[in-house]
Amino acid sequence: MSWQKVARTALLFAFLVALHFTVRPLLSWRSQPDFLIVAILLAAVRVRPGVAALLGFGTGLLADALAPATFGVTAFALSVIGFTASWLKAVFFSDNVALHAFFFFVGKWAFDVLFILLERQRTFLEMAAQVALWSPLSAAQTALVGLVVLMLFRGMLEANQT
Amino acid sequence: MARPARASSRVDAALLVACTLLALLAIVLPTPTRDAIAGVLQRTFAAPVFALQLRSERARTALAEREQVAARVDSLALRVVQLGQLEAENLRLRQLLALGHRVQRGFVPAEGLHGQGIGESHALLLTVGAKAGVVPRSAVVAPQGVVGLVTSVGNTTSQAILWSHPDFRVSAMSADGATFGIVTPHLSGNDEACRGAGEAACAGPERMLLEMRGVAFRDPLKPGTLIASSGLGGVFPRGILIGTVIGELKTTEQWSRTYLLRPSVRPQDVSNVMVLSPVLVTDNLAGMWDTAGAGAAVVARVVAAGDSLARRATADSAARQRVIDSTAAARLAADSVAAAAGVAPRDTTRVAPGVRRDTARRP
Repeated sequence: MSWQKVARTALLFAFLVALHFTVRPLLSWRSQPDFLIVAILLAAVRVRPGVAALLGFGTGLLADALAPATFGVTAFALSVIGFTASWLKAVFFSDNVALHAFFFFVGKWAFDVLFILLERQRTFLEMAAQVALWSPLSAAQTALVGLVVLMLFRGMLEANQT
Repeated sequence: MARPARASSRVDAALLVACTLLALLAIVLPTPTRDAIAGVLQRTFAAPVFALQLRSERARTALAEREQVAARVDSLALRVVQLGQLEAENLRLRQLLALGHRVQRGFVPAEGLHGQGIGESHALLLTVGAKAGVVPRSAVVAPQGVVGLVTSVGNTTSQAILWSHPDFRVSAMSADGATFGIVTPHLSGNDEACRGAGEAACAGPERMLLEMRGVAFRDPLKPGTLIASSGLGGVFPRGILIGTVIGELKTTEQWSRTYLLRPSVRPQDVSNVMVLSPVLVTDNLAGMWDTAGAGAAVVARVVAAGDSLARRATADSAARQRVIDSTAAARLAADSVAAAAGVAPRDTTRVAPGVRRDTARRP
């Protein structure tokens, strides 16, 4: 990947991170799109799995800094999601809109499952409701946002796939 | 080619393991340590996103509170309006108190209720009746002057007609007592005098004005002259304010004049009144009515009287406290003297010895 494309991807990544910390507090919905997941997944498929894991860890630490009660949980989940996304993209996926949407959906859902399991702050029923109801909703919203971002920044994101 | 690929896979795996281990370590850290690290991160590389999130939270809170603030402002505005009404009522009651203070005897305070039915627009229901000493043909007054006349009396309520009633009449005179006439409601509008006096003087329905008839031709009245009851006729005592001359009315009468008056009391403003007893009919009540600001001094005196009562109550309370304190100090001194002399102080709280007779038990 050329340095211009690296710079563009980094810019889009920063933009999505900023959106995450700006739009979500404004919306304050029960289920919300996760801009961090979109940012990580978009970046992860363009770098090596190890770098994606590092990127996920750093971004997760950023999010954890603002939620000390679950410190480390987001970092762990995003590291795993980033690594897996990068590895899976290299193995399976091609550039397909529907597959990308599915990719975002599964990524967000997996993140939520990991997060809920590690945070250890809910009862079993609450965990079940979150995983079975709210997380899919949030994942669907995240997939939608991911697709919109892909559509809007298609030219910017045309990059050499790893 | 296979060896470098395997090596980079190992590096990737190592990075993943390192990241996950660090994250797990962060999860199991003691809470104070985690909070400290989070605080450091918030102040350093997470500071920009922290500021973003803070600003968004504030914006959302402001949006959420906007309706509440609007509702609060609305309710405050409503309360301010109600306070205005309360102040007006308070002023009316104080003026009535001041009038009572001036008249001193021979009156019954009452509440005047306006009827809403047809034909009740010129009548007033009073909340006092025969039990309070009200008799028919008693004068009804407000602090500003004449309101009307009691026509019928029940046990606890009375019916009065307002000065705007077609049957209302009162014998009147100019404030200096030089000119006399009969005051009646002004039942016909579009008079020359009204037009001559200007639009401001006759603004609104002319029906709500009075006219003074039968004034001797030789006694012209200037606009602005105060008109009061003359005391003739045995109903209204002398000196009750009725209104102010606006101008002369052109009539067919050749040997007398008719004047248009602006009444001193507006019927729609009447809510608390006084019913004057017939014993006052022979009295002169001149100078007791609220012309422009005349009653303010008396109202101030009433308020000051209330304040002085409060001051006296405070002084009494302080004096009582001083007595209690001095008694306690004397008792303490006596106890200490007794203790110094080796005598145990008397236990004043102990119940006196002996069994009380059980008065409740049956023999």
